[in-house]
Amino acid sequence: MLDLALFAFVVGFLALGLARPFLWVLAYVYIDILAPQKIGWELTPMLPISLIAFCAAFAGWALTDSKKGTRFTLRQGLMVFLLAWCWFTTTFLAEFPESAAYKWEWVWKALVFAIFLPFTLTTRARMEALLVTIVLTLGAIVIATGMKTALGGGGYESLNFFVNDNSNIYESSTLATVAIGSIPLIVWLMRHGTIFPPDWRVKGFGIALIVACLLIPLGTEARTGLVSVAVLGVLMLRTVKHRFAYLAAAGTLVLVALPFLPPSYYERMATIATPSGDQSASTRLAVWDWTLDYVEEHPLGGGFDSYRANKFEYEMPLRSEQGNTTSVEYVEVVDEARAFHSSYFELLGEQGWPGFVAWVLLMVTGLTQMEKLRRRYRTREVPEEAWVAPLASALQYTQIVYLVGAAFQGIGYQPVIFLFLGLQIALWNWCRRRESRGDERLVRSNGPRPRSASAPDPAVP
Amino acid sequence: MIDNIALALTHGLLLVALIRLVRRSDLDREVKAEDAVLTPREKRRARGRPRA
Repeated sequence: MLDLALFAFVVGFLALGLARPFLWVLAYVYIDILAPQKIGWELTPMLPISLIAFCAAFAGWALTDSKKGTRFTLRQGLMVFLLAWCWFTTTFLAEFPESAAYKWEWVWKALVFAIFLPFTLTTRARMEALLVTIVLTLGAIVIATGMKTALGGGGYESLNFFVNDNSNIYESSTLATVAIGSIPLIVWLMRHGTIFPPDWRVKGFGIALIVACLLIPLGTEARTGLVSVAVLGVLMLRTVKHRFAYLAAAGTLVLVALPFLPPSYYERMATIATPSGDQSASTRLAVWDWTLDYVEEHPLGGGFDSYRANKFEYEMPLRSEQGNTTSVEYVEVVDEARAFHSSYFELLGEQGWPGFVAWVLLMVTGLTQMEKLRRRYRTREVPEEAWVAPLASALQYTQIVYLVGAAFQGIGYQPVIFLFLGLQIALWNWCRRRESRGDERLVRSNGPRPRSASAPDPAVP
Repeated sequence: MIDNIALALTHGLLLVALIRLVRRSDLDREVKAEDAVLTPREKRRARGRPRA
């Protein structure tokens, strides 16, 4: 029944694209995040739906979309370089060609789609449609996981997702980071949505979804999730109107939630403060150290999964309690082929300095462009522009939460994040087009034009 | 059970969003606010809200 329903939904989704070909772009995004072909067991996996949606999205854009005002930006150029460089390292430098080719299989798709996406997001409605699709698709996973957590089914590596193969978004730490990162976008949709205009139902659903997102780090017991929540909490201070009320509400929420947390959650979170007592954390430090040595010898990187070359020995303190005494015994641990556990080291070890620099530039330009838009548009009050600054802020916060989470997990090529980067580029382009068109009527109605708006920054084309 | 509830809820909302998108005039090209095709409810809201 579920299989049939999912299959019918996908077919219906693709059929609606016949009326509006842009919907095929959304169909690909939906399939890419949820992977319905892995949830269904017979009908849905029968067709290569991801490939069909990708081809339809591209064909729909190529054949029916207006290309007026389409521009290729520096950030898309950085992604093209990263794509070409990943191909180069996979083909010529890979230390483990088989596993490198396996990872290349999905990385190139994520990058190609992110490069293509901004070309299709030409209107405000399309950008919002993408956000609604991402939020609702993620919402399916988040609501199910949140409900299981609330009903007591959580626990580290014991929570069941729709798909349990640790792939893409279905990995607990990745899901925790993306769920927390998407909270600012949910808030934006609750306030500025036009597909679902703000009313009590939208607000109610939005708040419930945010609560479900906050439950993910609890349910998965992902330490990165707790860090992400803390980062987002601090970031929100920048935009909330009533800071003291916000602080008081956040404090009360924490105090109310604490008694309900399971003891296993406290135990796992305690290892954040004492990383030396935990093998996962000790290994990270050793792997990062190894990566720095590795990139010194291989400045151009060792291709995807180059971490498989690592092997190291280190001493880990093992605490044991007997009665009132706690004895610490140092045991020799030998580890090999340990994953990077950090996107920065992942990029450095796999793609060397060229790939790492391109990736960092891609991230930094995203943060700076969103900041520029936020400042330029924050005083605009006409409905056509009032949504820009809050969306730029939301996308910036999402990216910051990701960048902090990325420090502790290898999610450097996470497809969902590349969708957000594509949306950032589209928003930047939308504003540039609007400014270059000189829509003075709207600006005049808003009073004197800010200086920055009259001279758009030419740093990034 | 929980999985089915979550899937049904979000997919239902996605379907509503897609149908609304198909009917929107500003999906493929930006239209000025005054040219946008508004639903009666949106018109009521717009009338009630003073223009900036």
